[in-house]
Amino acid sequence: MIWVSWRQHRSQAIAGLSLLAALAVFAILVSTSMRSAFSHDGLAACLARSEGISCPAAITGFMNSFDSVVNISFWGVLFVVPGLIGVIVGAPLLGRELELGTWRLAWSQTVPRTRWLAAQLALVTAGLVLLGAAITAVITWYREPMDRLTGHFINRAYDFEGLVLTASILCAFGFAVLAGLLLRRTVAAMVAAFGPWLVIRLVVEFTLRPRFQAPLTLRQSCPHGCNATMGLDAVPPQTGHIGDWVLGVSINAGKQVVTTYQPASRFWDFQFIEAGIFVALTAAALGATIWLLHRRAGWTA
Amino acid sequence: MTETARQVIRQGADGGVPALRTDRLGRRYGKVWGLRNCTIEVPAGAVAALVGPNGAGKTTLLQMIIGLLEPTEGQVKVFGQASRANTTQTLARVGYVAQDHPLYRDFTVADMFRLGRAMNLSWDQQLAAARVAELGIPLGRKVRHLSGGQQAQVSLTMALAKKAPLLVLDEPVSSLDPVARLEFMRDLMAAAADSALTFLIASHVVAELERFCDWLIVLSGGHVQLAGPADDLLGDHRLLTVPRATADSELPGTVIERTDSDRHSTVLVCTDPVQLAVQGHAGWQADPVSFEQLVMAYLQRPAPTIGGDPAPAAQRPWPGAKAVTR
Repeated sequence: MIWVSWRQHRSQAIAGLSLLAALAVFAILVSTSMRSAFSHDGLAACLARSEGISCPAAITGFMNSFDSVVNISFWGVLFVVPGLIGVIVGAPLLGRELELGTWRLAWSQTVPRTRWLAAQLALVTAGLVLLGAAITAVITWYREPMDRLTGHFINRAYDFEGLVLTASILCAFGFAVLAGLLLRRTVAAMVAAFGPWLVIRLVVEFTLRPRFQAPLTLRQSCPHGCNATMGLDAVPPQTGHIGDWVLGVSINAGKQVVTTYQPASRFWDFQFIEAGIFVALTAAALGATIWLLHRRAGWTA
Repeated sequence: MTETARQVIRQGADGGVPALRTDRLGRRYGKVWGLRNCTIEVPAGAVAALVGPNGAGKTTLLQMIIGLLEPTEGQVKVFGQASRANTTQTLARVGYVAQDHPLYRDFTVADMFRLGRAMNLSWDQQLAAARVAELGIPLGRKVRHLSGGQQAQVSLTMALAKKAPLLVLDEPVSSLDPVARLEFMRDLMAAAADSALTFLIASHVVAELERFCDWLIVLSGGHVQLAGPADDLLGDHRLLTVPRATADSELPGTVIERTDSDRHSTVLVCTDPVQLAVQGHAGWQADPVSFEQLVMAYLQRPAPTIGGDPAPAAQRPWPGAKAVTR
């Protein structure tokens, strides 16, 4: 079964490796110049000395050079990529077998179909985990100088570092496998799985993530007039500590700056919580698939 | 039919363990029965034709036989052992060539064989390789570059190499052109002659089966209309041409189909030849019936009522079928 599964997903594996290679080339090209700019501008020393307060010009210059390519456009493009990877791999797993009728070949050999499905899922999931981990490693390395300025909590970093990227690939994969079973069409299953994945991804990102744990509140009194850093991704943030995720800043009656934030130390807690959500959804979708395939007595095609 | 094949069938009919027996098999899809009360038997070593129009429940029956589909009621026994859908034991006993012979299009022939070896308990790689070599199909060629006939041959080869004692083929030639049909059936029969396997071949095209099959099952409306050794069934039926005024009750045996023209009636009767000789009248003409006429006549009969009769085919009064289906 291992060979069969490998042979069926070989071209997808090659495509995945190509994607990874292209990403690595891009990362090396951009990150090399970013790293040299980072050391040339003396940012490391400035950050160590004062969390960046003492060198605003150098930081602004660095951000002007790299913010658009590293953060904004890159994130905009890559945001949907985990979903696309997941549905492209997941939808054909059952959808194409049912669409083309090859299930009658696959499941009439001597391997019962639930065992066939379990083997396929185990191998493809392992492949996706490896791919997700590799992409995560490349992006984490690629972003490293930028992350030293912005921390890991901004979504451009958070979404691609740690566990979340891999977990959300798996989630789209699980949805697409289930959709393939229900719709019996590859392309329809891709579309049907991607929609809910995107909605969940956006809801988690913008509604749930700031609330995974109760935010902390920092009150800074300012008897000589308040001069708050209102930008939420300023360097350093209003809390004065790079990596803290500032959710909101307000000035209370001209005497006090009130900042709500998630401290940088919660990064891995948040990663585990969010990855847990996606993995649970994956498990639910794949569990439903196995159960339906086991229970469903068959199709006449 | 050869004499040895004949003996094999007789053994089956006389109480040896049949290759296949279904007992009041039924399958419901939602509220609709796709097949019901289906009791058939195929003796070991037979080449059986399962004939019926599209939608007769053939595919449903076959998928229950091979273990892809769980019956709603009734039971399948293959060589005496009860089948359970989607279990290794059941799947290993039956080889299957599905309709349109599905294969993975981006696999090479060698890849397909490797899949067969990986997914089956027993696999005869020598047989598989020798068979495609004989047919001139290159092992390294991708399935999508094979003709329809070659794809059918690869499917059949995989089913043969699985070394299952019962082989089930679902409409094996319906998607092929006439020449490829003929070639496929010829090669299939050569394979059948070389082996001790039992074949069950479903088709809605009667002509292609006539020369090859020694056992006949006619399925219509989800019910078995006729079942038994092909030669006995042909021998038990006569096409009578009688004056139109002749009533059914005057005719020997059971009237299966009657066509009245201006002066004469053509009547297909199921009868004992001896009885026919006794009851025959001057002016009656009795002709042997062809395979196709026989099948068509039974396909056009109304389905027996559901529920009252557990095994409709078994009740019919002809000697060949009776011995087998009881």
